[in-house]
Amino acid sequence: MKARYVASFALVAALVAVSTAAARTDSPTRASASKITVWLQVDAQTGWPDLVATTNAAFQKAHPGTSVDVQYQTWPDHLGKFDATLAGGNVPDVIEMGNTEMTKYMAAGAFANLSPDKSSFANSRSWLQGLAASSTFNGKLYGVPYYAGSRVVTYRTDLYRKIKAKAPKSLAQFTSIARKLRAKNGKRSFSPVYIAGTDWYFAMSFVYDYGGTIATFSRGKWHGALTSPQARAGLAAYKRFFDVASRGSKTGTEDRPQPYDVFAQGGAASIVGPAWFSCCVGKKYKTVTNQFVMPGHKAGQSMPGFLGGSDLAVPKGSSDQSLAKDWIRIFTSTAGEKTLQAKGNIPNATNLLGNSVNERAAKRSWFVPTAKNWVNVENGNVLRTMLARILTGKDSIKEATSTASDNITLTLNRP
Amino acid sequence: MASSHVPSGAALAAEAAPRLRRRRPLTWSRVLRGSVPYWLILPVLATVGAILGYPLYWLFKLSFERYGLFELIQHKGVGVGWANFGSVLHDPIFWHTLVRTVIFTVANVGLTMVIGTLLALLLVQVSSVIRVLLTTGLVLVWAMPPVVAVQVWLWMTNYENGVLNYILTKLHFGSYLQHDWYASTFSMLSLVTALIVWGAIPFVVVTVYAGLAQVPGELVEAAEIDGARPWRVFKDVTVPILKPIFLILTSLSIIWDFGVFTQPFLLIGQSRIDTSNYLMGTYLYEQGYFFHDFGRGAAISILMLLMVALLSVAYVRKMVQFDEVR
Amino acid sequence: MSAAAPAVARGRRARRRRVTRAVWNVVGLLVLVVLAFPVYWMVSTAFKSDDQINSLDPKWIPLHPTLAHFTDAIHRPFFWVDVKNSLIVVSVTVALSMALAFLAAVALAKFRFTGQKLFIVLMIGIQMLPQAGLIIPLFVVLRRYGQVNTLTGVIFTYMTFVLPFSVWTLRGFLLGIPRELEEAAMVDGSSRLGAFVKILLPLVAPGLVATSIFAFITSWNEYIFARILLNDGSKQTATVWLSYFTGTSRHTDWGGLMAGSTLIAIPVIVFFLLVQRKIAFGLTAGAVKA
Repeated sequence: MKARYVASFALVAALVAVSTAAARTDSPTRASASKITVWLQVDAQTGWPDLVATTNAAFQKAHPGTSVDVQYQTWPDHLGKFDATLAGGNVPDVIEMGNTEMTKYMAAGAFANLSPDKSSFANSRSWLQGLAASSTFNGKLYGVPYYAGSRVVTYRTDLYRKIKAKAPKSLAQFTSIARKLRAKNGKRSFSPVYIAGTDWYFAMSFVYDYGGTIATFSRGKWHGALTSPQARAGLAAYKRFFDVASRGSKTGTEDRPQPYDVFAQGGAASIVGPAWFSCCVGKKYKTVTNQFVMPGHKAGQSMPGFLGGSDLAVPKGSSDQSLAKDWIRIFTSTAGEKTLQAKGNIPNATNLLGNSVNERAAKRSWFVPTAKNWVNVENGNVLRTMLARILTGKDSIKEATSTASDNITLTLNRP
Repeated sequence: MASSHVPSGAALAAEAAPRLRRRRPLTWSRVLRGSVPYWLILPVLATVGAILGYPLYWLFKLSFERYGLFELIQHKGVGVGWANFGSVLHDPIFWHTLVRTVIFTVANVGLTMVIGTLLALLLVQVSSVIRVLLTTGLVLVWAMPPVVAVQVWLWMTNYENGVLNYILTKLHFGSYLQHDWYASTFSMLSLVTALIVWGAIPFVVVTVYAGLAQVPGELVEAAEIDGARPWRVFKDVTVPILKPIFLILTSLSIIWDFGVFTQPFLLIGQSRIDTSNYLMGTYLYEQGYFFHDFGRGAAISILMLLMVALLSVAYVRKMVQFDEVR
Repeated sequence: MSAAAPAVARGRRARRRRVTRAVWNVVGLLVLVVLAFPVYWMVSTAFKSDDQINSLDPKWIPLHPTLAHFTDAIHRPFFWVDVKNSLIVVSVTVALSMALAFLAAVALAKFRFTGQKLFIVLMIGIQMLPQAGLIIPLFVVLRRYGQVNTLTGVIFTYMTFVLPFSVWTLRGFLLGIPRELEEAAMVDGSSRLGAFVKILLPLVAPGLVATSIFAFITSWNEYIFARILLNDGSKQTATVWLSYFTGTSRHTDWGGLMAGSTLIAIPVIVFFLLVQRKIAFGLTAGAVKA
């Protein structure tokens, strides 16, 4: 009896030991790369599969014997998957990262230093500021800007024509347009400009427009800067504009409901968001939709728009960094960028910028503080909470910004 | 001779086969000898051990280390002793979340078990056509992928044009047009509860119904002939046989509902999750993994393990002791 | 009981039973409508045109049903391959898990051995582990075994999560079998393990069916581990395939998602319809009757 008891425990212990030991051995080094793995988001698969195909073909011509395995990822899980490969090996050779996702990983040392090769990438001297900033950490380059997207106003030309309004050139003009639109349409749920209360991408544009910023870096520490008079003025302007223009939920987020759905149901005369919103305005209003750049509070100047976008990075554990860089070089070449531009994206360099509404909006842009913990501020919904409290009146602007600023300082400086 | 939990009907059956009673001890003891049970559990142990051995070790090791993204890439953490546990246990958010989760679990488990059992009994009472329809409907509910189920629920509870508001208004429960179901924590978590209970009922119904199938018709008929009313039949014949199944379902429900993550995360939405509506599942995910603080995440995981073990110990104990009665 | 002639009493009882049953049937239908409404909404959305999906008033019935979403979904890359992978993974997982769990449950319910309590606690304890924390180390372990991007790796992972719960539940079903039924079945007193298993198996069949349905659905809908472990489109499972509908940074194709989900639910229903007869069979073989 006792022997059996001992035996069964020994067996279990042995199993745990074996599986632990197996996990501790060093990973076998990959044979010299006959294949590189590229992680792109599924946007590429549906949006510009031709660009991927031509890039792969050109790459294989330059490197016969090496194949390219493009694996498409989805935004919600790609970082989780990346973390798993960082822990267990099998990292991709090229990975597409959202520009707000870069800093944390750069600070952790996940990517290879591309600074020595910077000039070999097309148009690197005139890369868009917002994208270049997101790929740089401590003065070193860790990513190559891929493409960007800005925010524009999509509007109903028929409703605007009814009140004889043209694309506004200043925030004040836009506000008066909103007032006229509301006078013409008394329905309680109708928004002249549909905005979700906690759409911080839009709200922070006001802060930057008035000369404020979210956080500054000085003397080795981050300082939340929303308490500055400029930032507070910007938020006050946002609240004024929201109260006149939007009947969206004060505590709601900008993805539920999707603004283009509100637009398609006739619930808004204008919506603010990425330029591709025009895809989904519904059959009814397809022919009476157009876009203009969001005006700032100073006449003639556009409001700085949040520059979203993606960068391409080479993880340090890649099996062949030079092949990876080569692939990126081909993908983001001028020809590649022109293809992306044709699909409605903003190319990665100012000298390639055209005159579409999207690209004009990108001329004045802002980006989040390039702090390694910035992502935690976003994930912690600090800005959203602040906006909700300001709009619902639960806190004065003074209080709400103080709380948020302290929170930001704390989070950004955490080791 | 008969065990205390077997009702009087069993005595009738036992009396009907006196020969078997004398045979019983001989047959079982022969089988009980030997190393047979160890061979029987070996495959399960081997599979689970091979896959989960290292992750369990990792979880325990990491809870005593500072392990962020940097350490993940270096494959090496920095030992910090009990600091992770200390920081979690001193965090008031942890305690608020714990209390909220316990209340949430009690509500979910209670509703699931009661409604599930009632529906299983209903299944017995309906004709076979309805039974197949109802069970197929339940299985369809069960089979809906969480992402899709959440999306349909979001459409149904949309404050602009959701079906729920529409129906409530039409049924004259008051004006529910533009009612925001996600405005308050209570309302939000009630919806999450409804979603989870709705998704969990099919499992309970099917399992309890299968359990009912084990109740021998002869025992029921014997009791009915004795003059027992349906409720007494249920109480004296059915419930004792179903007891282990109820215990299992309750203990499993407690475990699952305590740590539930997918439904609240998707329904509330990542942008709306914050300390005021954290449940242990979302709290762990955000604090541990979203923020890449793996050491803290491991500590929270272990604390959750202890909490849920505490919550379910009464039921688990009963289950473990069950066979001792026999 | 009434003193009237037996035939009349029987007739009255039969009529009462019919009326009761009719009432229960109506209740059953109502319950079905309420519970299955979201399923109906999913399926009907799959047939609606995009405009109707987003319309302001709920559209109960698709006005001009369209098959466009279904054809679109089927033509998405890797649909058939991924469904096939899901079928392989899930059927192997369920078959192996049921067999192994049954054996272990027999050991727990019918035997007495040292370490038994420990094993039971282990089975219930594993389920208390929050899965979020296991993702990364599980990937590390499977990588060492060379099981990343393989279906077998996913199968073993799923088994690890299905086994504890299955053992726990089957043990309960085994414990619930009234002694009388066991003894009645063991008339000839056979003592060999094989015959012993043969006796218990049919008695616990309903429990096995319920557990296998749970194992099937849990594995079929499992997403996060499949996503982490499988890289190639040709190796992924149906849930991963489905995730591409909602994974873009642009607008989601709701019609496509609903159509895809409807298609993916079909194997589950087929499996259920195949095995549900076992429960009904056990029921008609002599259990609670109306």
